Amino acid sequence: MNDERFFTRLAEKTDAVSGAADRAPARLKSRLYSVLVAQQAAAGPLRSLPATKAAGHPLCVFEHVLHVVPNERIVSMNPCRVCHARVLAEHFESPPIYWPHCPYVDFQRR
Amino acid sequence: MLAAVLAKDRKAAAEFVARYADAVYAYVSRRLAPRADLVEDVVQDVFLVALQKLATFAGQSSVVGWLLGIARHKVEDVYRAQLREPDPLPDEDDMPSARSAVTPSLDDLIDAARAEEKTRQILERLPVAYSAALQWRYWEKQSVREMAAQTGKTEKAIERLLARARTSFRRLWEAS
Repeated sequence: MNDERFFTRLAEKTDAVSGAADRAPARLKSRLYSVLVAQQAAAGPLRSLPATKAAGHPLCVFEHVLHVVPNERIVSMNPCRVCHARVLAEHFESPPIYWPHCPYVDFQRR
Repeated sequence: MLAAVLAKDRKAAAEFVARYADAVYAYVSRRLAPRADLVEDVVQDVFLVALQKLATFAGQSSVVGWLLGIARHKVEDVYRAQLREPDPLPDEDDMPSARSAVTPSLDDLIDAARAEEKTRQILERLPVAYSAALQWRYWEKQSVREMAAQTGKTEKAIERLLARARTSFRRLWEAS
């Protein structure tokens, strides 16, 4: 088998098996989420927390507290930016954060 | 969900990451082996570009296919940079020779998973330029002409690099 044929076959064979492997670390997913939301927040207000809730997405405990504040700027801010759950989740694979409806907690479970 | 991401719904952004990060990560980490240190930054770049271009995503392909298309460009950026670095000095054993005619059998590769692991280990042991060249040429199916054009090298130089890379790879393959 010549070189070209060997490497072509090897590439086909190894590509076929690697599809199910290599799950992204939860730490990376946390970082991706933080970066995306930060990017969106930098370009203008996020969808407000009441609108997010109305769209069927449950809020975490901190978002839940904020979402009743009668101030559009506050309900459209990104509380994850100052939340310790974000810091822990971006640096540790299984951080001690447990409260419901926090995306950083959800990334650990998936 | 994509419409909700565009509307800056933070929960939709989380769902977007949760749903697609594994596929992008798997692709990038395979293609960039052995440079595991680059993988997370490249995956992040892919998602940032996706966010910028999301409004123009026409839905003609699957979201995964679209993201992997972006990832492919980012991986090629890395290959390009790696091949632009000075060639590793070939030792005499690396030079193409009669060894290239030796036939390492693929017949014993019944276990494809084992072949994948063995390939990964060998790519990790090769000089970065060798593993980048092999992956770009055979796993990404890029032509020698295009590799030369993208790196500013001659086709002859790319062929020489590939020949050395193949010889080194096959020597390790046979030895392991």
